[in-house]
Amino acid sequence: MTAFALLFTLSAIGISETVYLIRTRIAAEQPVCPIGEGCATVLTSKYSKIFLIPNDILGLLAYVVISFIAALLVLEINVDLWSLIIKILVGAASLVSLFFTYLQWREIRAWCFWCLMSAFTIWLMGIIIIFSSVI
Amino acid sequence: MSKTAFHILRVGLAITFLWIGILILKQPEAWASYIAPWAAGLLPVSPVEAMQGTAVLDLAIGLLLLTDTWVWLAALIGALHLITVLAVSGITDITVRDIAIFAGAVALFVETRPKNLLIKQKTI
Repeated sequence: MTAFALLFTLSAIGISETVYLIRTRIAAEQPVCPIGEGCATVLTSKYSKIFLIPNDILGLLAYVVISFIAALLVLEINVDLWSLIIKILVGAASLVSLFFTYLQWREIRAWCFWCLMSAFTIWLMGIIIIFSSVI
Repeated sequence: MSKTAFHILRVGLAITFLWIGILILKQPEAWASYIAPWAAGLLPVSPVEAMQGTAVLDLAIGLLLLTDTWVWLAALIGALHLITVLAVSGITDITVRDIAIFAGAVALFVETRPKNLLIKQKTI
């Protein structure tokens, strides 16, 4: 239950973050960059889209699905199935986040606060899932 | 209120409302027991149905706050909702923390209320 609550909380933070990024992008504004100055560089780079879909939208979809599954797990609906799906989803998202972090480091050579925050959010979800499976 | 503080409060309240909504949906019967007998008697529906409606309202408030949409309206409904909760449940060991959530919702409302509301208030 605590693990699901944490997953839900983290995915909710992810939703609010990606909604903010989508809104600033649609309004053609520059997002606030609390740490560093590379947000605009990263968010407008050629890597900001995968197959024409902006990464912020993909992130929002991932977070919405994770929060929805966490809610289903709390409601104890098909626990075995959904816990497997959430593990696969968070695992895949962790790898994608790892790839994007690599791109920032080696290709774009700029760090984006929001992208790193999203990556850490996903990795933290992965750590929570691993810990909850072990304990 | 600084912009950062506003967003932290907004997201924090959003998560609280969403999570409470899910918990109520899980066990509406248990949550219905918090309704004082005098208040249960006034309800047009059963306490369990009332709690299910409350859960949907909590989820809607949480979603609006989380997506930064109509924050003033969500905060206003949230504050009114919490006043109702405190009235029908009384201030107990459990509901005492609702005072803080209520205060947070009021703070968000004051911060985001539409300007025409402010103008009307000034002219009165």
